[in-house]
Amino acid sequence: MAWIPIALSRDVPEGTTRGVIVEGREYVVWRGASGSAQVWEDRCPHRGMRLSFGFVRGNSLNCLYHGWQYDAESRCRHIPAHPDLVVPSSIRANVYKSVENGGMIWLGASDDNAYLPVLSPRLPLASIAVEAGGDNLPALGERPFGEGAQLLVLERSGLLFYIGWHQVDAARMMLHVALADNADAERGMAALRGLRYELEAEAGHVH
Amino acid sequence: MSTDPAALDQWYVLGALQDFAPGVSMRRLLGHDLTVTRASDALSVAWHAGTLCSRTDYGHLWTTLGTPERPVFDLPESRKADRRAVYCGAVTVRASGLRLIENFLDLAHFPYVHTDVLGVEARPEVGQYEVEQRRDVDELWATKCEFFQPRAAASSEGGQMSQYMYRVVSPFNVMLYKTPPTAPSRWDVIALFVQPVDPDLSIAHTYMLVIDDSSTDAELIGFQQMIFLQDKIVLENQRPRLLPLQPGRETPTRADLGSVLYRRWLKEKQLTYGVEAPATLA
Repeated sequence: MAWIPIALSRDVPEGTTRGVIVEGREYVVWRGASGSAQVWEDRCPHRGMRLSFGFVRGNSLNCLYHGWQYDAESRCRHIPAHPDLVVPSSIRANVYKSVENGGMIWLGASDDNAYLPVLSPRLPLASIAVEAGGDNLPALGERPFGEGAQLLVLERSGLLFYIGWHQVDAARMMLHVALADNADAERGMAALRGLRYELEAEAGHVH
Repeated sequence: MSTDPAALDQWYVLGALQDFAPGVSMRRLLGHDLTVTRASDALSVAWHAGTLCSRTDYGHLWTTLGTPERPVFDLPESRKADRRAVYCGAVTVRASGLRLIENFLDLAHFPYVHTDVLGVEARPEVGQYEVEQRRDVDELWATKCEFFQPRAAASSEGGQMSQYMYRVVSPFNVMLYKTPPTAPSRWDVIALFVQPVDPDLSIAHTYMLVIDDSSTDAELIGFQQMIFLQDKIVLENQRPRLLPLQPGRETPTRADLGSVLYRRWLKEKQLTYGVEAPATLA
C-alpha cells in the first residue's frame, strides 16, 4: 500500500478534528497545540465512540462520550469519572503512521520502502468528492507520480495541479488538490470541475 | 430475521397504545414484518405465521415472537394514583438496541453528552455503586448511584445530588428510578423500551411515571426528547454498531460496573441479536 493523502493540511487547523473514511475504514485526523497532525483509528477504546466527534484541548484529544483524554502519543492520561485514577499505560488509541508533506496529510504506507517525494505546491485549492474510482485516473492522460504515493501531477488550463487522492469506497474517492503557483484560485476551481467531469464520465456517470 | 431463542422468547413494545390508528399499521421486530390491527378498542398483532400473543401493559402494546418464560415485568409505580404517566414518543436510532440499554445505564457520560443539564464538567466523578443480579426474578439492579445534576428534570430550579437506581428487566427493557426535584423522598420512574427492528436499527420508546404537578406534558416530553437526541448522536457513532461481548474489544472501568454485569448477563443468556459476531474480529 502506498502513501495516501487524506486531507489538506489547511483543512485541519490547530484545535480541530476531522473524520475521514479511507477504503471503508474510519480515521480521525486532529491537530493539537504542538502543531503536528495525528492520524488515529476513529474509535475510542473505551466504548467505541468515534473520536472525530471529540474535542481538542491543548495537545490532547478528548472523547465526546466520557471525556477520556488522549495525549499526542495516543496514551489515555485522564478518565474524568475517576479523577484520581492513574490510567494504565495499556489504554491507548490506535495510531497510524502519518506525515505532512506538500500541504497534505498522508496516511502511512504499509510498505516501509514506499517512496514519498518531497512536494512543494504553493496554493492548497480544495478537497472534492468524485464519483469514480482510482482505476479511472489514467483517463486524465497522466501517469501517477510514482508507485509509492497516491499522487498525480498534471497540467490543465496552463496551471500545474498536484492531485492527491484516496478511495472512500468502491464508487467514490476524494481528491486533495493543490496548485504549484499562487495562481488564481477561481481559475483553478473551474479547471478542477472539468477534471471531476472527465473522471465521472469515465466511470460511466451521465451528467 | 432472528432465530435467536434468547431474543425471540422476550416481550417487546411495538408502541404506545395511543399511537395505533384504527385499521392496520405495519411494525417491524427482530427483522420480521408485523401487522397491528386496531378494531374498535381491541389491538391484535400478526406475522406471516398467524396471530401473535400480545398484551397491553403500561399504556404500550407488547408482543413476542417466541414463548417467554415470564409475563411482562411488574411495574408497581404504574398503579399509584399520584403519578403522571407520560409517553415521550418513539425515536429511531441506527444502532443495536443493546447499545441503547447500555447507554441508559451509564452515569459517566452526563457531563459530556448532557452538558450543564444532567451533569457538569467540573463534577464528573462517578462514585462507587452496587450492582446485583437478582436470579429469582432474572433482573439486574444497580443501586446507590449518585450524581450531581444542574438540571435533573423539567421541574428543576437548581442543581441537586440525584440518587439513581437502575433496573434491567430483559435484554431490551430497562428503567431507572431517580430523585424528583419536588419530592426528594420518592422516586421518579423513567423506562426505556427498545424495539429491536434489525440488529443495528432500533426504536426507543421512552415512558415516564413521574411526581410532578407543575410541568406541562409538553415540557416533560420536550425535556426527555432533548436528552435522548443528545444520546442519539453518540449511539449512532459508536463502532461497531453492534455490541461487542468479546473481552478486550472495549475497555471498562469501575464506573462501567453496570455495563460489565449487563454484558455478562447477555452472554449467560447466549443472546446474539444485536451482538457483534466473534467471526468479524480481526
